[in-house]
Amino acid sequence: MHIGDFKETYASDQAVFINATSRFWLGILFALLILFPFVAGDYLLFMANLAGITIIGAVGLNILTGFAGLISLGHAAFIGVGGYTAAILSTRFDLPFLLCLPLSGLMAAFFGIIVGGPSLRLKGLYLCIATLAAQLILEFIFVHWESMTGGIRGMNISPPDIFGYVLDNDFKFYFVTLIMVILCVTFARNLFRTRVGRAFIAIRDRDISAELMGINLLRYKTYAFALSSFLAGISGCLWVNFLKTITPEHFPLLESVRYLAMIIVGGMGSILGSILGAIFMTIVPEVISTILGFLVNIFPTAMSFLFPLQQVIFGLLIVIFLVFEPHGLAEIWRRIKNYFHLWPFEH
Amino acid sequence: MKKRIVSTLVLVLSLLLCMGVSFADEEIKVGAGQPITGRFAFAGKHIHQGLMDSLDYANEQGGVGGKKFKYIYEDTGYDLMRAIASFKKIMAQDNPVMMYGESTGVGKAMAPEINSRYHVLYGSTSFSEELADREKNPYTFVSGPTYSQQFGVLLKYIAGQPKKNNKPHRVAFFYSDTEFGRDPIPFARKLAGELGIEVVAEEVTKVGAVDITSQLLDLKRNKPDYCIFQGYVVPPIPEVIRGAKDFGLDITFMGTFWAMSKMLLDKLGPDAEGYMGVCPYAYWYMDDVPMIKTIQAYNKKHYPDETYKPNSYMQGWFTGMVYVKLAQMCHEAGLPITGENLKDMLPKVNNWDTGGLNGVVSFSKSNATASGKVYKAQGGKFVAVSDWIKLDE
Repeated sequence: MHIGDFKETYASDQAVFINATSRFWLGILFALLILFPFVAGDYLLFMANLAGITIIGAVGLNILTGFAGLISLGHAAFIGVGGYTAAILSTRFDLPFLLCLPLSGLMAAFFGIIVGGPSLRLKGLYLCIATLAAQLILEFIFVHWESMTGGIRGMNISPPDIFGYVLDNDFKFYFVTLIMVILCVTFARNLFRTRVGRAFIAIRDRDISAELMGINLLRYKTYAFALSSFLAGISGCLWVNFLKTITPEHFPLLESVRYLAMIIVGGMGSILGSILGAIFMTIVPEVISTILGFLVNIFPTAMSFLFPLQQVIFGLLIVIFLVFEPHGLAEIWRRIKNYFHLWPFEH
Repeated sequence: MKKRIVSTLVLVLSLLLCMGVSFADEEIKVGAGQPITGRFAFAGKHIHQGLMDSLDYANEQGGVGGKKFKYIYEDTGYDLMRAIASFKKIMAQDNPVMMYGESTGVGKAMAPEINSRYHVLYGSTSFSEELADREKNPYTFVSGPTYSQQFGVLLKYIAGQPKKNNKPHRVAFFYSDTEFGRDPIPFARKLAGELGIEVVAEEVTKVGAVDITSQLLDLKRNKPDYCIFQGYVVPPIPEVIRGAKDFGLDITFMGTFWAMSKMLLDKLGPDAEGYMGVCPYAYWYMDDVPMIKTIQAYNKKHYPDETYKPNSYMQGWFTGMVYVKLAQMCHEAGLPITGENLKDMLPKVNNWDTGGLNGVVSFSKSNATASGKVYKAQGGKFVAVSDWIKLDE
């Protein structure tokens, strides 16, 4: 019987999978994730893909904002850079999807480093405004560099293929998304067991003391921007290959704000938080609209009143979550888990 | 004995199966992801209502070959992701033969899958050129003329007007920096050249532009006779028209479909007088048009309190008429009503009388109607100043 966790070494303290129970449930989760596409329909698969792509983006932003404490209002634009890079590389240079994926990430990381430059001098709200500028500048480039980005009309791309195997539906794409999510989440989770990850946290908690500890602020802040944008770029590349179309209208400022909301709702400085936040922000509006759609079928005359309600309900839900659990969904999950941890012999 | 039970079972099962199939065939399903909320809601809710009413009216008339239309819709909030999600949801749950979508973006995003997988007739709120391209997107149609064709109608009308001092007509294009704004401009430039119309100025603004002083000064400098707006719904059109008046400019301002609403005329007030534009549909108050009479009668019966329906409602209604027409054509040809067959019928729509709602319509050359009428605002209403102008004649 499981009666508690007693850590005797530093290694066990740092372990990702603390005990056999967590390994067991994680195994079940993976099994379910692999079985899922075989039972789910088109619609659920679409939502799952979307959630997966959003998770990668949210994990990226959480590295920057949640762990390194650098607020960014330009995350959607970095996703856009990744998306455009993938679209341009695959349409103009006929590069295969598997090559586009890292290249999109690198391109976004490059832009991230440039934007991250001022972060050495700017903090808090000031940095926020600097990244806002990046968002606006990148949006402007998407619209006006017509010869490259296709301007306001954007670009259409053909379905990606991996060694000749064409990923032309949501079912096939699901596995690509799943693998990428697992890779990115594993990477992010392990990042915080290394010197780099710990340096981020030190910078977030107090940059002056971090510097006194011998952390090179410029280097690590640049790392944070690069890693965060790299994941954004990967997310963007998946996004464009999934939807097969890209226009500047897909990466507005509001999308950046949505990503910030995601990590706040999910839990800042928590990988699990990014995942839960991304799923929450993708799935819950759909659930609300389904319920309302059902109500509209019963009360057709109330349509003009019911449909606009979904934004209100969604907003209220976010507020309620934050009021009752400021540390986000990840904290709620932790408490539920703790309750069952030694269940039924808690005391 | 056992054999008998098995054969009875097979018989019963096959009967049930047949019944199931025939039940399913009783209805012609039309799915729609409508922008009922969000920033396009001002038109979306009317388009939704128009399409729903149009199909309901067809049902009241007996449907097609005894089959009734079933309208399945979801609100998309004018959000690409939600719209694609609802498209897939409706296709998975109800598998309709016709779909309706909320924007150009959704049409473009779904086009590859519509062509390769879903094989469903697809109409939308969009008047984009790309969606009327039969070669690329055979399943997709535009419920009226594309923006380029609307510009074509206006330019053709202008070319037919008497010239000032025997000099070529001077035209300015005033458009927003969006896909919606830029869509017809290259075509319009080319056509203007062919018709001997001089394009003397092109003014580009952001969508919500407030300060239009520099554009006004440019108009003043270039002295166009006509100025055509594209890519706006209301602002900054009133500001431009009033500003031009203040500068004492003698310009006839014109708009395309979205800038031809009562909403704009109401905003303009007395300044609306003389504002012109192209609309592919007749207006609610044109009592002499047979289809408008029908629409009024339908509304009187179902919504006695309604006093006006905007042109976006007519767009929805007309789309419904296209759906019904194509279903009828399939029925008359003795073909099952499937997306595939509906698509094949589209090019065969030739000289179809729409009861005056959209004139006499053909989809024979492209998946758009290529016709429209020029209207002029008089006393807060639009009055037709031309007959149906067809581009492909």
